Amino acid sequence: MDFVVNWLANVPGFAVPFALAALGLIICEKAGVLNLGAEGYMLVGAMAGAGVMLSLDVHPLAALAVSALAAGLLSLLFALLVIALRVNQVISGLVIVFFAQGLTALIATSQGWTNRAFSGLQDLNFGVLSSLPGVGRIVFQQDLMVYLTIVIFAVVVHVLRATHVGMRLRAVGENPEAADAAGVPVGWYRTGAVVVGCMLIGLAGGYLSVAVSKIWVDGMSGGRGWIAIALVIFARWQPWPALAGAVLFGCIEALIPRMAAIGLQLPQYFVLMLPYVVTLAVMVWTSLSANRRSGQPAALGQPFVREERR
Amino acid sequence: MGMTRISRTLLWALALSAVPAALHAEPFKLEGAPSPALVIFSQKNDGGWSQSLDEARVKVEKELGLTIPVVENVPENATAIRPAVELLIDRGANIIIGSAFGYSDTFLELAKQYPNVAFINPAGTTNAANLQSIYGRTYESQYLCGMAAGAISKTGKLGFVAANPFGLVNWTVNAYALGAQKVNPNATVTVVFTGAWNDPVKERAATEALIEQGIDVIGQHVDSPTPQIVAEEKGVYGTGHHRDLGEFSKATQCSSVWVWDRYLAPTITKIAAGEWEPGPYGAFLSIKEGGTDIALSGDAVPEDMKKQIMDERQAIVDGKKQVYAGPLSDRDGKERVKAGEVLSDADLWGMDWYVKGVISQQ
Repeated sequence: MDFVVNWLANVPGFAVPFALAALGLIICEKAGVLNLGAEGYMLVGAMAGAGVMLSLDVHPLAALAVSALAAGLLSLLFALLVIALRVNQVISGLVIVFFAQGLTALIATSQGWTNRAFSGLQDLNFGVLSSLPGVGRIVFQQDLMVYLTIVIFAVVVHVLRATHVGMRLRAVGENPEAADAAGVPVGWYRTGAVVVGCMLIGLAGGYLSVAVSKIWVDGMSGGRGWIAIALVIFARWQPWPALAGAVLFGCIEALIPRMAAIGLQLPQYFVLMLPYVVTLAVMVWTSLSANRRSGQPAALGQPFVREERR
Repeated sequence: MGMTRISRTLLWALALSAVPAALHAEPFKLEGAPSPALVIFSQKNDGGWSQSLDEARVKVEKELGLTIPVVENVPENATAIRPAVELLIDRGANIIIGSAFGYSDTFLELAKQYPNVAFINPAGTTNAANLQSIYGRTYESQYLCGMAAGAISKTGKLGFVAANPFGLVNWTVNAYALGAQKVNPNATVTVVFTGAWNDPVKERAATEALIEQGIDVIGQHVDSPTPQIVAEEKGVYGTGHHRDLGEFSKATQCSSVWVWDRYLAPTITKIAAGEWEPGPYGAFLSIKEGGTDIALSGDAVPEDMKKQIMDERQAIVDGKKQVYAGPLSDRDGKERVKAGEVLSDADLWGMDWYVKGVISQQ
């Protein structure tokens, strides 16, 4: 029983970064911009958050806000490349990853932030609720961002589905020519989606350093940005399934060290492979099922040029 | 270094089998005064592996009265290594010190191209008449850390956070258990492999999972100090790797530390004197030869225990104590080292078994 409680109580720490990053990617991609730079924005967010925690005496939530802003700032470069200059989106995204790897290592090293522990975002305490057996630890002893993540998801889903802004954003991703003809400023919508989306990815990175590991280490996003990209595909560009996928991944990631710690005799590499096997399996399943293209924005990855013949 | 370390064992095995024995016919001759330079694959203040090399550089500078330039962030591929090294040679460097497994092949090419320049590569696998790869017998220092851990554990249950299960990690795990069992015969070591060298998120989860199981000392063989920091948060003790992690955490009581200067300073002197003959299998440095040592940093280890650990260290230096001396069986009861024998270097690099008391996945 303790095992299950400890396991489930640690799921959000793994799930929140996947969830926020995937949501950020969904926003970008719903507007038709393919964003492969998630790993880079997470790194920038993680480094910025840790840097603020180490050098300023502020609340961790302020550090997380800086994480989001830093990634948003970097995304302006990406937006300039792919929206204004119409550079290939795949290449631009990959360039951002390598650029961010170098940039974060450079800044953190010159500032002496590497390997320095800080107190970070602490878990909330709801008094009686938090001391409930089992449920208290799992549901009512998490940090604020865990609850905020659900709120953020609800807000994004509402905006995408039920507002004019969301409708136009989706139109820009599905059929930019039609959207343009209807008077929607395609470039600005895409830029806005990229910046807001990347801010969420930066927030995911900030959560890794500020709330989960409470330390900055070079390259600490550890491939989570790539998993988020896969999550978006397997959630078919829908926020709530992406959250479910993130929780599934969180469950596996939180389970792995605990299986080892109780001495369960399983092949090591098989266990480390599990999250990726699940990714592959779900993607295969997704592409085999009947309405497989549903969800992918029709103009994903295509630069928009007004009055260009196709 | 990530993935690159995984294949190090393999390449060591290849190096051991493929290099002709007649490689070093005569000592290497250096032209002019020694002028070393250090090339680092990551940041020199990474808090671990690379920083230990840079700290050694500063000590060697003082000891030998030299100025040793350092180049950082030279990635492990030929297109990056070659220009950096050639620039240093153009500027007069004649002893090039590397820092990575991934430098092995390029250093071998450069060694052939520049026969008058000496090359030394920590964690490398290639060797030549003017190139020597070096690594430390970290099991000696981790054995001593295991003794400290065994002495301060109340439960006798130790934990160990490691990157990937292969030779040079497995030998630290086993040595840690053997050291702990020297002090407490019933001590166990539960290992969690994170599959990454530098992932603080996974390291934190691994450490927390171990502490949830009643483990009260956390050893480690990963690159970041995260396990030690979590140990301090949770009020248990720990032991470090690479450098004295007491710098980052009050939990750390003992660390396996690199002491490259103790090898580099005399080696540079030897090179200058024309007495350096790099062996075909590189140098596998014991505490005595200056690759690895321990730092007893905390105050939780009782004084008499500290003395016992230092006595054991002396026995290792004197050759009276061998960590992997027979008779030694693995946890399944299979004999791995016969009585009166010592595990060979080839078997160390290929170690894929665990001693009794090690609890881990397969």
